[in-house]
Formats: sequence, structure tokens, C-alpha cells
Amino acid sequence: MLAGLAFVSRWISRGTLAFAAFGLIVMTGIIGWSVFARYVLGDAPAWAEQAALLLMVWFVLLAAAVGVREQFHLGMTAATDAMPEGLRRLSRIVALLCVAGFGAAMGVWGGELVARTWAFDIPTLGVPRGAAYLPLPIAGWLSVLFAVEHLITEARGRKVEPLWS
Amino acid sequence: VQEIGERPLRGADTHPSGYPTVAAVDHFGQLISERTNGRLRLRNYAGGQLGEEKDTLEITVFGGLDINRVNLAPLNPIEPLTLVPSLPFLFQSTDHMRRSLDGAPGRTVLNALERHGLIGLAFYDSGERSFYNTRGPIRTPADMRGLKLRVQTSDLYVALVQALGASPIPMSYGEVFQGLVQGVVDGAENNWPSYQDSRHFEVARYYSLTRHVMAPEVLVASGRTWAKLTPADREIIRAAATESVPFMRGLWEAREQTARQATLAAGVEVVEDLDRAAFEAAMRPVWDRFITSDAQRTLVEQIRGMA
Amino acid sequence: MELILLLGLLALLLILGVPVAFALGLASLATFIFMDIAPVVAFQRIATGVNVFALMAIPFFVFAGDLMQQAGIAERLVRVADAAMGRMRGGLGVVDVGASMMFGGVSGSAVASVSALGSTLIPMMKSKGYDADYAVNVTSTSAILGILIPPSHNMIIYAAAAGVSVSVADLFLAGVVPGIVTGILLAAVAWFIAVRRGYPKGEFPGWPAFARAFAAAIPGLLTAVIIFGGVLGGVFTPTESSAVAVIYTLVIALIVYRTLGFRGFTTAAQNAVKTTAMVMLIIGSAAAFGWLLALLEAPEQLATLLQTLTDNPILILLMINIILLVLGTFMDMAPLIVITSPIFLPVAMATGMDPVQFGIMLMLNLGIGLVTPPVGSVLFVGCAVGKIKVEQAVRTIWPFYLALFAALMAITFVPALSLTLPGLLG
Ligand code: NA
Ligand code: NA
Repeated sequence: MLAGLAFVSRWISRGTLAFAAFGLIVMTGIIGWSVFARYVLGDAPAWAEQAALLLMVWFVLLAAAVGVREQFHLGMTAATDAMPEGLRRLSRIVALLCVAGFGAAMGVWGGELVARTWAFDIPTLGVPRGAAYLPLPIAGWLSVLFAVEHLITEARGRKVEPLWS
Repeated sequence: VQEIGERPLRGADTHPSGYPTVAAVDHFGQLISERTNGRLRLRNYAGGQLGEEKDTLEITVFGGLDINRVNLAPLNPIEPLTLVPSLPFLFQSTDHMRRSLDGAPGRTVLNALERHGLIGLAFYDSGERSFYNTRGPIRTPADMRGLKLRVQTSDLYVALVQALGASPIPMSYGEVFQGLVQGVVDGAENNWPSYQDSRHFEVARYYSLTRHVMAPEVLVASGRTWAKLTPADREIIRAAATESVPFMRGLWEAREQTARQATLAAGVEVVEDLDRAAFEAAMRPVWDRFITSDAQRTLVEQIRGMA
Repeated sequence: MELILLLGLLALLLILGVPVAFALGLASLATFIFMDIAPVVAFQRIATGVNVFALMAIPFFVFAGDLMQQAGIAERLVRVADAAMGRMRGGLGVVDVGASMMFGGVSGSAVASVSALGSTLIPMMKSKGYDADYAVNVTSTSAILGILIPPSHNMIIYAAAAGVSVSVADLFLAGVVPGIVTGILLAAVAWFIAVRRGYPKGEFPGWPAFARAFAAAIPGLLTAVIIFGGVLGGVFTPTESSAVAVIYTLVIALIVYRTLGFRGFTTAAQNAVKTTAMVMLIIGSAAAFGWLLALLEAPEQLATLLQTLTDNPILILLMINIILLVLGTFMDMAPLIVITSPIFLPVAMATGMDPVQFGIMLMLNLGIGLVTPPVGSVLFVGCAVGKIKVEQAVRTIWPFYLALFAALMAITFVPALSLTLPGLLG
């Protein structure tokens, strides 16, 4: 079961990395194109700003979820470093539970946000406004998955092997 | 958990405190408070501190805010009927705009918001929007050819500027001043007070009174909040909103006058002799694109009939 | 009550080691639920907090920096800077402050400045034997100079929010001298620490070697020329310049230097995405948190408290500064400008302060908030590109805070610093 979970989580981590990097490159292309079009062709694509923003929200939130797996999120460790090992382990577990809990909340209410704004369009882009919120529930549930993986490996006395250097 | 009455009603406005819309909403709050003997109060958060208009509108729908003063533009993607009063060159004058919105057409638009979880309470003035730029006076659409003009993130404004032969640049408001200085954009469009407040008049010295859009500001309440109010309280709120309109218009006219004098004193060149017919003629494709339903067409005709 | 819940829960979660972004998000979410405000609002604030055009500068500049790193362009730049300034102990620290004044001056965005300069200068300094915390602290604190040195979009926000008539032109002029003074103080601290820590001092390699290093670095150095020239020449906005920097770096790495393989390219993209995600999730959560602080009228409550405490003008100005610093610790700059200007400006004007001077004071004060945890986006970008923990940076940042505070006090109590230039030219 742990092996299966580890396989899924590794695969998602890689896939998100590829997606996020691709998103960043496309974003660069869009803004580059709009500068070129405005300055050289004298006309700017009206959709460029919103399209680039949409991509950014997607890759930021998805990569942030993978950050739960890769444990790259910034935190204060001064207090936990000063704790004895038992207490430190306990706060590590509480912190993971907090992350999982917040992820679940993001999954549920982020999903509600998507559903309630799907009927409205993002101006100049013609895409549902909910599309800008859709990465919320996805990232939320991914965070839950990754936090649970950490909790299980923690319980077995092991560590999740990071993929992103 | 606090029920309404135990906490103040929460309102949001993107304009800074002291702006006519903010003062009008404060006045509206005072009227409510007086007429309910302080049972209902309004705390109005000005200056956009609770978010941009498109965001506070959503929050109002979710019930996180009770009252929201927004422009009609962010409602365009939500309710197609709001496109009608936003149409370029629809209103012949401010007087025409006020008569239409105070009358049956205005009521139709406000009522249409209800199915989206918003209670439309009143329309406020947002003045007449005109183009300003750094290059030279605009008298005919031909003068606009090749100009890079900043617009809000709005399909309607993009189409409007394109139809006039200029190049629309959607850009966030905060970047416009520097954009004008450096020449990334040649101009933008807004009403007198915003032309002054944004300081764009310091760089874009030509203000051509195209008066292309007179889309109003609108005061809405959250449908969720509304459902918790007694019919008597709803009536008090509606009446207070209606009464705040003439109050707002008085402030608006004074504010517009101040802005006009201040920018003129700063040496801005104002262009008044425009070829309005030429501008109107260029609008056909814009109207055709955004006016697609019978309900919209009826409303357009109704408003044109009141000119 | 709600404020205590919000702040107390945040403190507790941070102590337990919950990541900053999640601690801010959870504390806000709990408060939303406690106040019976639909929790969807919390997540809407998070998403829209990320969905900001000006923030695109973070991924782009970080990406450009990582590409320069992977393609060896950064290394060539190090050689030139080292050849030019290496003889002086702490030379790179001073270079860093100078670069921030120029770049920040053009962009006006502290976040763009720290992303752009941090992603090349911090690795550069580390490779020359400077400590990572030092490199991060110099870059982050000097990034806020761009808010004082014109043009500065935050000053325009202030002019609109002030409620009294303040000219943007006056504000821009007023920011110049305080910006330079603050820059000099930071450079002095950077130099002093470098000397005390005994950072290595290089040898001047001689003019022929310098010329060779310079020639090899020209395409890299042109990045700066393209950014400055493009923005000043009206080709693109400061935010757009960040995307142009990526494209330009890619072109020279692929065509001119031919030092970038597919592997290096994907590694750079991966690093950029990671840095961006960790910083921007915090910015998003901080937006939800800040929304609640505004709703709960935290600034107003503090102002009321202030007025009950004293009526001595010097104390009032000091306390306004302290309150703003505290608020700046938790909230982001633009919302704080619109909330606090109408509250504190009248109080400050009653003590005889000019609104232009108040604006400059507000800019630096809230700028300091950008480099103080727990909500300090600029410091976080610095730490992320420097690959160190926030605590590690904060442990040794206090001399820089001291310099910034000294500059703040000078701006607060010496009106001439801000008002001489606008008086002469305005
Ligand atoms: Na600047
Ligand atoms: Na801070």
C-alpha cells in the first residue's frame, strides 16, 4: 500500500513539475509575444495579460501542493529545533495534520468556489472564471495526499524521498 | 456567530474615503441607522481595502459582504443586461442617462441581478468617460488611428477602442502612470475626477470630451443578507438607497467641477468640438457584437426612446 | 476577540513548525468560520492574491536568474564584478546595494528587484566566499530602495489615498534624497559587516585580464541594458521586462554561448517554479489574512489606542512609525497604504508634518515591513533564491534593520531630507 502510494506521489510530483515548467515557458512566450506585437506590429493581443495570469495561478498552486511532498515550504524551525526529540516528532505530526486539514478545506471550499463561478467568463479570455479557481481544489486534495504519505512514512519510521533537488 | 444587527452591515468600495460614492454610501448607512434606531448599522470599507470590484462582488454573492458599490463593468460578465447601459455612445447626455436609469430601464437592470444572488439597490453617477492621450487632440476617429490606449480588462472596451481604429492595451491601473511617462501607452480613458486623481493629467495633456461611455456605478446588497432581513428592514434599505442618489449626484457634480478646474489650471488642453456622428457611426459592430438577445434589444430601444 | 484568535492561532501554528503559508491560511480560515463568513471567501482571497499581474516579475526574474546560473552566464558576470570591485573588502555587497538602487529605481517594485538581482547576485556572492545570509540580507533590504527612488507606483497609490492634495511629481522628487541616504546607510553596513567577517579580498587581475572577462560577459551585461533601455524607452513595462529578460537569456544561452543543454533548461525551470510557488503561496495566504485584519479594523484600533496614550508630537510620530512597522509585519504594502493613510495622515499633519514628507516616511516604513517576517514577501524571495531558512537570515539581519530604522527616523524628524528637492524644483 505504501509502495503504491509512493509510486502515485512520485508520478504526480514529476508530472506537476513538467506541467509547471511548461506553464512558465508558455507564460514567457505570451508576454514576449504581446510586447513584440504591441511594439513591432502596433497591435496587442487583448487576451495576453489574462492568459498569462491564468497559467501563473495554475502552476503556483500545483507546485505549492507538490511542495508539501518535497517539504520545500518555508517554516519557522527555531522553536521545534529547541524541543526534545519526542516533542519535536509530535509537532511534526501536528504540523502535517494541519497541512492535510488545510488541504482538505481547500479541496472542499475551493471546489465550491469553482462551481459557483463557472458560469461567469474571464473578460478578454472567454474562459470560465472558475478556471482560475480550479487549481485550488486540485492543489488542496494533492496536499492531502502528500501530507498523508508523510504521516504514513513517519509512522513507519521512514522518510519520503524528495524528487526536486 | 453574529447575526445581522449584532454586527454592522459590511460594505466595500474601491474609491478612497471622501469620494462621492463613498460619501453617498456613508449617507445611506446613516439613513438606515436613523430609521432603525441604530438596530442596523453600516461599516463601509473604502479604498479597495477588501479587494477589487470583481472580487468584492463575488464575496457579496457569497455573503461575506452585505453591501457593495461597484461600477457596472465588473457585472458585464455576470449579467448580459448590464451591458446595455455600458454601451458606448448610447446615452446622449448625463440627463438622458439619469432619466433612463431612474426609470423603467434602470429597474429592469437592477432586477436582473437578483438571479445572481445580488439585490440591485440604486444607480450612482460615474460621470462621462472620455479619452486622453500624450500625443495630440482627438476630434474624429481618424485622430485615434495607431494610438495605444490603455483599457480595463473588459471585452467591451477592447472592442470599442478597436472599432475606433486605436490599439487597446489591457493594463492594470497602477502601471498606467509610468506607462504614459515611458510611452508604453499613449493614452487611456476615464472621467474627470479619475483623470485628476490618477495624476494622468500630468503626463497625458490632451483630454478629448468623447463622452463615449456613461455606464453608472451601482449599489448592490447580498442576496444572502437580504434573505435574513425582515420586509420592513428591506423597505428601509431600499428607500435609503434611493434617497442617497440625489445626495450622491450633488457631490458628484461638485467633484467633477473641482477636477475640471484643477486640470484646466494645470494647463490641460480640453477638446470639445468633436465629430460625434463619426464616432457613433463607428459603433455599429460593437453594438452588434454585445447586443444579442431580445431582452437586450428591447432595453436598448427603450433607452433610445427616452433621449 | 476575532483579532486575538487570528493572531494567536498564527503564532501557535508557526511555533509548531507549520509552514508559514499554511499557518496564515489556517489561522485565517478558522477566523472566517468563527465569524460566520463563508469559507469560500478565504480561498477566493488566496487565489486572487496570487492572480496579480505585477507578481509575474517573480517567476520571470527568478527563471532568468536560474537560466544564467545553468548557462554559466552568471559566472562570467561574477568575474567582471570581482575584477572591478574585488580589491575592496565587501565590494560585492556595495555593488549589490548600487544595483538595487538602479534596478529598483527603474522598476519601483521591491519584489521584482529582489527576484532579478537576488537570483544572480546571491549565488555570485556565495561563490566568492560570502555567507548566504549576508548575501540575502543585503539584497533583500536594499530591494526596498526602489520604493523611495522614483518612479514608484506605491507613491501614486498614496497620492490617491491621502485624502488631501499631494502631487505625485513632488512625491517622486521627495523620494530621491531619502532613497540615496538609505542606500548609503545600507552600503555602509554591508561594507562594515564584510570587513568584520573578513570576506576575501581579491587581486586586481590586470587590465588585459579584466578586458577579457568584460568581453566574455558582454552578452550577459546587456541583459541590464535591455531591461533599462526597454523600460525607459517605453518598449515594455517593468513587469514585462522580466519576461523579456527570460527570452533574452535563453537566446544568448542557446545561440551565443551554447552552454545550455535541455537538462540545464529543465533544471532552471524546475528551480524557478519551486521558488515561485513557495513565495507566492505565502503571498496568497497573506492576502486572506490581510483581508481579515482590514475587516477587523486592526489599523483603526491601533490608531485609537495611540490617541489615548499621548499628545506629544515627537512621541506621536514615533508611535505612528511603530504601529506602521507592526502592521507592516503582518500585512502587505498596497492595502496598508490605502487603509493607514486616511487614518494617520491627519494625526501627523496635526503635529506639523507635511503630507509629502509623511508619504516618504510611509513608503520606507511599509517597505521595511516587506523584509520582516512573518509576512515579508521580499525577504522570502531573497531566502528562496539564496536557499536559506528565514530564521537564518533574520538572525544576522539586525544591523540592516538598524540602518533602515536610522534612515526612517531621519526621514521622520528631518523634513528637509524630503522637502528640499521638491521645494527647489517643484
Ligand atoms: Na522606483
Ligand atoms: Na513584514
